Amino acid sequence: MPDKHSIASDNEVSTKVEHLFRHEYGKLVSALTNTFGTSNIQLAEDVVQESMMEALQQWTYSGEPENPVGWIYKVAKYKAINVINQDQLRKKHKLLISGELNSDETGSIELNFDNAAIVDDQLRMIFTCCHLCISSDSQVALTLKTLCGFSIPEIAKAFITNEENINKRLVRARKSIREANVHFEVPSGDELRSRLDSVLEVIYLMFNEGYQASTGMAPIRYELCHEAIRLGELMISDDRLNRVSQLPALLALMYFNASRFSARINDKGVFVELEQQDRNEWDESLISRGFHYLNLSTLHDELSEYHILATISGHYCTAKHNADIDWKSVLNLHDSLIAISDTPIKRLNRAVVLSKTADAATALREIKAMPDKSVLQTYIPYHSVKAELYKQTGDLAKAMESLEMALHLSPSEPIRLSLLAKLEDLIHY
Amino acid sequence: MKEFMLFIRTNGDHIAHMSPEEQQAHIQKVAKYIGSLTESGKLKGAQPIETGGAIIRGNGGAFKDGPFNESKEIITGYFHIQAESLVEAKEIAKANPIFEEKADIMIEIRPIKSVEGIN
Repeated sequence: MPDKHSIASDNEVSTKVEHLFRHEYGKLVSALTNTFGTSNIQLAEDVVQESMMEALQQWTYSGEPENPVGWIYKVAKYKAINVINQDQLRKKHKLLISGELNSDETGSIELNFDNAAIVDDQLRMIFTCCHLCISSDSQVALTLKTLCGFSIPEIAKAFITNEENINKRLVRARKSIREANVHFEVPSGDELRSRLDSVLEVIYLMFNEGYQASTGMAPIRYELCHEAIRLGELMISDDRLNRVSQLPALLALMYFNASRFSARINDKGVFVELEQQDRNEWDESLISRGFHYLNLSTLHDELSEYHILATISGHYCTAKHNADIDWKSVLNLHDSLIAISDTPIKRLNRAVVLSKTADAATALREIKAMPDKSVLQTYIPYHSVKAELYKQTGDLAKAMESLEMALHLSPSEPIRLSLLAKLEDLIHY
Repeated sequence: MKEFMLFIRTNGDHIAHMSPEEQQAHIQKVAKYIGSLTESGKLKGAQPIETGGAIIRGNGGAFKDGPFNESKEIITGYFHIQAESLVEAKEIAKANPIFEEKADIMIEIRPIKSVEGIN
């Protein structure tokens, strides 16, 4: 008998409802925003949130229904109609508090919850959340909240900040949308080009925030990466958007990087650098997905940073051993990156490659010659890269000094452990 | 087999504090819990109960509204089950995933009265 009830210890995950609460949240908020208008995103969120609560409360007693998604949609639809009817009541009494509702005066409203409509609404939502009237950190927060179904505490955790801060960003973002009277649509023509850039930037930022091991390793962070990929996939499924070559390039980049997830941390919880990673642990299926998109991205005569970054990441993926990496080509790619825009971090990354094509001393000279390297003082890789280069030139004292500097910047646990291991190495060198 | 009422007592808004991640995990556990109770024929019924409502007091035909019990934990749902004994009923109650929520949850287990020799 106890067997039957030892449910708590069972971690089996049912795939049928995987992330139902997260993803259906995003879909429903998008669909309802289409009904309520972009100035009422909060209202849409409240309706969906309440529907989810109803589901939780009811299912705790009745178990999950046959069709959980349909169940939630029905409840949300009912609540939405109630809100609209109430609003019409308010209109009648001239107590109008919220503006344009997309319903006609007769009270008949269309709530279209079929799949194609919802995909479309999600795309509109992406463009709304990444509208140029919103500051970039608020864009990411709003995207995670409304499209990816992250709670405020989860977003705060993912960005290592407090809830109040995230809440402020969300409030600001919603206000900007209201004030700019943003249309709920996928833009077209020239406007599409410029606004697509900011959407891609948000997706890339989201992915990177999750990927950077330097700021923490909570599982929630990898979920940021998965969400970024999911949004990219959603976009590329649309005919209006899949002609833009940056999109497959960005997807290729994300898939290549994601293929190394499990190899980046060893079983002792220590961060492992690319060249030391066990290549057998790289996810082949993600790599081939990456190449699929990399090929797609080259169909057009365009070269964005995403193209170059994806090509670099692809170079690592194809090399069977470190010795097979074509460093010359990789160096050229880094030069192209710097040609597009010159930043200290790009220079630092180029210097690492330079230490392969030339030697560590040359790379160190490059780093020293960088004009604005002071901004890198708080960047952990700046010090760990220097430590490695100093070690290779035989300057162990300076190498140790650099490692100490890196350790002082309060790295995440996996990075800290890896830095300590390097320090240990130097002592016994 | 005896019948039992399991009254879930909470402060009402316990579920609101779960993250989507936790909600997901919770529902999956709940589905298995209820599934196994149903399968073994032990679950006779279960419903959530709204926090509002009314209390009427009567004495010899004179009615009075309220007041509600002062207690912080109110009944927010029930499970009507069958079990061999109070011991088993307690085991079933303890296995309820509702206890994993970060809130004070109380389950009151009351055997449904049956008169020996009749049922």
